[in-house]
Amino acid sequence: MKDYQLGEFEEIVLLTVAILHGDAYGVSIKKDIEERLQRTVSVGALQTALRRMEDKDYLHSTFGESTAKRGGKRKRYFEITDLGKQALAYSKETRNQMWNAIPKTVFKFSWL
Amino acid sequence: MAVNQPPKLATKLLRWFCKPHYLEDIQGDLEEEYYDRIELNPKKSSSGWYWWQIVKLFRSGIIRPFKPIDSTQKEISMFKNYIKIGLRNLWKYKMGTVINVLGLSTGVAAFVLIALFIKDELKYDRHHENADNIYRLTIKNFTSDGALSRHWAFASAGHAERFKEDYPEVIKATRFYPWAFPDLLVGDRKFPAEQVIFTDPDVFDMFTFPFIEGSPETAFNTEQSLVLTETSAVRLFGNDWQNKGVIGERVTLQRDGLNAPFTVSGVMKDMPEHQHFHFEYLAPIRFIEQVFGESSMSNVTGNYNWLTYLMLQDGADPTTIEDQKDAFFDKYVGQFAQGGDAKDFYDFALQPLKSIHLYSNLESEIETNGSIQQVYIFGTVAILLLIVACINYMNLATSHFSRRMKEVGVRKVLGALRSTLVKQFLTEAFLVNILSFPIALILAELALPYLNDFLGKSLSLEFAGNMDIMVGLLLLLILVAVFSGSYPSIFLSRINLTQALKGESSINSNKWNFRNWLVTFQYAVTIALIFALAVIESQLYFVQNTDPGYNKEQLVSVGLSRNIGNLSTFKNELLNHPNVDKAAYASRIPTGRLADSWGASFNQGDSVASVNFRLPFIWIDEDFLETFQIELVAGSNFAADMDMIEDSVGYYLINETTSKALGYGNPNDIIGKKINYGLYNDQTYKAGRIIGVTKDFHFESMHTSITPMIMMKGDNMRTICLKLTGDDHSQTLADIEQLWYQFDQDNTLNYRFVDDRFNEQYQAEMRLSTMIKVFTSIAILIGCLGLIGMVAFIIETKNKEIGIRKVLGASAGDIAMNIGYRFGILIVIASVVAIPCTFFIVSDWLDSFVYRTSITIWMILLPATVVILVTVLSVGIQTIKAALVNPASILKTE
Repeated sequence: MKDYQLGEFEEIVLLTVAILHGDAYGVSIKKDIEERLQRTVSVGALQTALRRMEDKDYLHSTFGESTAKRGGKRKRYFEITDLGKQALAYSKETRNQMWNAIPKTVFKFSWL
Repeated sequence: MAVNQPPKLATKLLRWFCKPHYLEDIQGDLEEEYYDRIELNPKKSSSGWYWWQIVKLFRSGIIRPFKPIDSTQKEISMFKNYIKIGLRNLWKYKMGTVINVLGLSTGVAAFVLIALFIKDELKYDRHHENADNIYRLTIKNFTSDGALSRHWAFASAGHAERFKEDYPEVIKATRFYPWAFPDLLVGDRKFPAEQVIFTDPDVFDMFTFPFIEGSPETAFNTEQSLVLTETSAVRLFGNDWQNKGVIGERVTLQRDGLNAPFTVSGVMKDMPEHQHFHFEYLAPIRFIEQVFGESSMSNVTGNYNWLTYLMLQDGADPTTIEDQKDAFFDKYVGQFAQGGDAKDFYDFALQPLKSIHLYSNLESEIETNGSIQQVYIFGTVAILLLIVACINYMNLATSHFSRRMKEVGVRKVLGALRSTLVKQFLTEAFLVNILSFPIALILAELALPYLNDFLGKSLSLEFAGNMDIMVGLLLLLILVAVFSGSYPSIFLSRINLTQALKGESSINSNKWNFRNWLVTFQYAVTIALIFALAVIESQLYFVQNTDPGYNKEQLVSVGLSRNIGNLSTFKNELLNHPNVDKAAYASRIPTGRLADSWGASFNQGDSVASVNFRLPFIWIDEDFLETFQIELVAGSNFAADMDMIEDSVGYYLINETTSKALGYGNPNDIIGKKINYGLYNDQTYKAGRIIGVTKDFHFESMHTSITPMIMMKGDNMRTICLKLTGDDHSQTLADIEQLWYQFDQDNTLNYRFVDDRFNEQYQAEMRLSTMIKVFTSIAILIGCLGLIGMVAFIIETKNKEIGIRKVLGASAGDIAMNIGYRFGILIVIASVVAIPCTFFIVSDWLDSFVYRTSITIWMILLPATVVILVTVLSVGIQTIKAALVNPASILKTE
């Protein structure tokens, strides 16, 4: 079984790229995460995470059009690769397994 | 959109530290968000946000790595190469290296010494914790026509207390009353002291005086306590005073028949050198108040003997107090009995403690202060000398460019960039400087004792544990190296590749290039210094050789002591000596100050009007005029039997200026007129007649104009002046000393030659002159070295031209002229620039004299002449050698 390494922040970024499907680039990803999760995302953290996952082949990027708003800089659009999807699926599955492994009593007692 | 661009500097910063392949994305994202924010809220500036974003990007993963390791290693090995080549060149051209190092180290040594001096001057009075809030109260006197007559460093007895009571801003106040020449008795041993200072208890709250024994709180517990300094404790109780428990010891203060027991209550550290006053004994002022009587302690006009300091609240503005002076004098003095409001005659000014040493030069300063003008002059000269030394290096480093031309060519062929070559030649400049600095420091260390002796300071170049000096020297080294290396590196790296390899010079020495400006600058500095020196010297000559109106030669002044007893016996004993020609008593003598002044009124026809100008007095005897050879222009001298004290009518001598000021152009007309002269306050005018008018003489130095003065016969003599004859003055003085001890066994004979005192009036100017002489010599020395380099350069570039000219029939003289004329042009330009600039500074300096020489044409021509002479001497040989070379030997190489 291949080892899918995925940090918490990486997972969120990867999911957001998948959600935005085709419109995922720096600013849009950042805004989506900020709105959805009510947390601030720094440009530096986001960009390093994106690059790291591109290196791991979870993401694939293409250059889009350049806009005046970006001072003539091109947008870099990200897409999730198959490997990325597998990594997400793996991550979800392991979490589910772990949830299921929790003895029922833990929650019961805590609810009392 | 252009209006609201993100801050450029921030973007630049990002570009510098960000990994290149992240840059476009990050920059794009940031800019997009930036513009979004502006759209959302157009009024708010988002540049702060933008900066914050950039700052947050300082994180691993974003910051690009430093240059790869291999490139650093390459740089290091290149530097090794630069150093090796540099050292080889220094070794190969030993003469050039010596000249270079000598020039730089002399300049740097001069700079370091002057910097030490200035640093020292700026340190004064800064060690007191409350220095920022302490002010000295100074008093101004005005004449009745509103002109400032005197500005005193001291105040009256009553000021301090009234200021503290009346003005809430004044939180502490203290006076210092110097009690001169008392004797201190410890047991039966007698120690004469220069002065004991009586002071208010606030003094320890205001000034920072650290105690070794005792404490500020208990120092003035009784009215007869005495605080010593370490030095005075050693003097009174010996080196081991600390083991003796001196606190509580009894000391008797003796003066004028007064015997007062005092108890030692504390010993404080010696007052640091950087303080504008130095006291050895402090005692509570209550004692002296009782001696003088309480009534005189409320005095706020006249009797300026009380050095007064005020401490203001934090942030209080001293001018708000100064503005209330009218109310102050109305309240405490009001109208004079003779008429006139006190407020029109007096004013006070508050001087910040920290500015006293450099900015204050008032009447009767407690010690001689420094001068800010001197700091500026020396500072400017120091910087100029340093620049001249750097220029010297530039000249010499570029003058032998042909030696390095091939090397530069080869380096360029092998791929050296211009920046690489710049680095190389800067490295060489650093090498020379690293060689020069230790020599400069040795030179400075050698010169330091002389400088200290000369300035009366104790400057030191102590490195150990002195970070200031270490850091300063390091910065200086870097500055000098970069500055002196800048032009050579630009010049040498600019050499054209093909020409360099062909061995052709691409530099046309006929062109007016930067080097000529450098040499012109050197000339200008030298010319300015010589010009200033010429003016100072001629002014000194002027003041020392203009007839002061009295004869100062072979005159000795002897300070009197209280033990002398009968003055006429003493005088007759002195006159019995064959080599003492004349003798005269006086309260003050010419070369001193006219510091004592009373009020006067003058009978004009039937009416009596008070004299509205300051009329200072001296006491003299009937031999004074003759001893000093002061001429009488009208009337007669005092007679031997006139006695000011006993006679009911006074006799007065005045000078011509007084006669004119009283309205008598012809002094004969004022003889016999009535004048009343006496203490202003208690109305003890003495009516009298003017019996004689003297020719004007310079009682004070030529810094001030001759003022009115009045001479009285009598009473309070402090000096006897002796006119000596014969050649062996030392024998005469030895005899006089013998005689002195017959009259006074306690004090030593204290004598001065009047012409020494006379010259001392111009001590500051003589000191300045000496300093400028030294600076000028350094400038000329360095300048000569530079010239030698400059000529070498010209000859090197004009080598072939010289050959061809000779072939075509030019004589050696023509060639020498051809090389030399350009220096003439440089000197003319330098003079035209330097003389007017210096003219303003020098005439400003001359304005400190009332009697002054004028700047004449020879003072302007002299510097140029000296510089031309120096140029001819230093470059002549080289030029002649070049002119005499056989043209064949130069031309055959082509």
